[in-house]
Amino acid sequence: MRPADAGSDSTKLCRREPEGSLYLEDTGMSLSPLIRKILLVDLIKGLKVTFNYQPPSEAITEQYPLERPVIFERYRGQPRLKVDPENGNSMCIVCNLCALACPEQLIVVKGERNPVTKRKEPVSWTYDLSRCMFCGLCAEACSTDALELTQDYEMALYSREGMVLDQAALEKGQEPVQYVK
Amino acid sequence: MLEAIRSYLNSSATPGEAGSMFWATIYILLITIGVSLAVISMNWLERKILAHMQIRLGPMRVGPHGLLQPFADALKLLIKEDIIPDNADKLVFWSAPVVVTMTAFTTFLVVPFGREHAVTDMNIGILFMLGISSLGVLGIIMAGWSSNSHYPLMGSLRSSAQMVSYEVAMGLAIVCAVLMTSLQTGTGTLSMIGIVEAQAQQHTWFIFKFFPLGFLAFAIFAIAMVAETNRAPFDLPEAESELVAGFHTEYSGFRWSLFFLAEYAAMLAVSSIAVTLWLGGWMRPFPTWLGGPAWDLAFSFVPALTFFVLAGMCLLGTVRMPKIPQMKIQTAGLGIFGLLLGFIGLVLMVPGVRERVQDIYWFVAKVAFFMYLYIWYRGTFPRYRFDQLMKVGWKILLPTGLGVLIATALWGLLPQLGSAIVGVLP
Repeated sequence: MRPADAGSDSTKLCRREPEGSLYLEDTGMSLSPLIRKILLVDLIKGLKVTFNYQPPSEAITEQYPLERPVIFERYRGQPRLKVDPENGNSMCIVCNLCALACPEQLIVVKGERNPVTKRKEPVSWTYDLSRCMFCGLCAEACSTDALELTQDYEMALYSREGMVLDQAALEKGQEPVQYVK
Repeated sequence: MLEAIRSYLNSSATPGEAGSMFWATIYILLITIGVSLAVISMNWLERKILAHMQIRLGPMRVGPHGLLQPFADALKLLIKEDIIPDNADKLVFWSAPVVVTMTAFTTFLVVPFGREHAVTDMNIGILFMLGISSLGVLGIIMAGWSSNSHYPLMGSLRSSAQMVSYEVAMGLAIVCAVLMTSLQTGTGTLSMIGIVEAQAQQHTWFIFKFFPLGFLAFAIFAIAMVAETNRAPFDLPEAESELVAGFHTEYSGFRWSLFFLAEYAAMLAVSSIAVTLWLGGWMRPFPTWLGGPAWDLAFSFVPALTFFVLAGMCLLGTVRMPKIPQMKIQTAGLGIFGLLLGFIGLVLMVPGVRERVQDIYWFVAKVAFFMYLYIWYRGTFPRYRFDQLMKVGWKILLPTGLGVLIATALWGLLPQLGSAIVGVLP
């Protein structure tokens, strides 16, 4: 819980507690403890709770490869370099702000000026995912909104080989994984 | 040959009564296969129902809705390395699971699945069942002692203490039911078939007899039987959080699976005692209130109907399966399973089969209710502490059982007492 909404939430929690049949106030409080014990009131109450949870629609399990979780927009996952959709040029202007912002210094950008368009264009871009902690400072620092951290999360690999992403990989983004089994 | 089979099927005698070795062997084979199948399906059902009670889904990946999971587990257990600890007592270690499994399966000799569907009708049936099922604790102690390890030993000691304390209350509850059999005929019976027939003669299940008393005796038995089979909330002998796995900590592979098999077979056996003594055994509900040939016919369709409902559920599941190529085989499998269930339902519609099968159906349905209770308890109740367990056994169940026994005897004697008093009075 974040400190900002701590107050309101804690009062809500307090109010939430007594509701539901789990708690003792609603029924049976008038019975004496001995009679409750003999009639197994509490045990039957517990049995009722587990019985009512049985419909499979109650299950909160997510069948992961079959159904994918809802990822929030502010989630920071696989990095991506945007491409101008009109002409296919990279939106990166090699200002190096991301590399400076990165606390791990895992971004290395080299570029040179294009004599025709007079724009600076990236020549080599490397992004070392194995060292990235997904703080998102690079994306915040980017002056052209070219670099972003997407909601893709399936970044696990069998070796360290593919961990260093180059410009092509960054621009392509992540292919959705297809599970065969 | 065919003539012999037909004449046997038309007679209404258990193989024991008919003195037929051949049919006894067939019955024993059928019961062994049936119990093993029941254990397999119980494995799946327990995992699914328990999971749903805990708002999970349970096995979903091996076969449609995890239907093949028990088979996968069985295969895994069979090919697993079989480890015997270095300093274990090899002979005892080897024979413990055999003892447990054999005792658990032997009890089914006298279980009456129907008037003619029992291997034999012993005149001491219930005594035999109790005796054999308490022998199971011997196997548990053997397993715990021979493992030469702390946890198994503690597990088996707990198990023996628990069995001894709950056997007493259980015995008292059973004596109540046996007393009730003697009410109209004057002579009681210990035979399992005789007990059910007594309930048929008295037109009531013993759970409703002498209203609070029959129910109380049943309740005592129902609690004691959970303790007797080492199931939650009385699963102290195999308390996972305290004793790793209790008496079978050192067992692996096939031997472990024998313990598993025996535990579930024992649960089935004890449930069938409860069904026989209090819930009218193989009798269908309301045999007199909803009596007559029309109701008989209607009730004889219930087994087929059950299978049709199950088949319908499977086919509904087939329709609801995610429509993606990866699930094609699973969907087809579920459909075939549904059709198989439907086919079994159709077979149960055939008149000859229908009449022969319905008492088995009612017995199994009642036992299934108890198996569901076992799972329900496990999903709900936390484990008792050992002193609490002993307190429940000795301070609550035993006195209540004694009181119920005395009250039952007095109530049964009331008419005679009344006539005696009337005779004494001038």
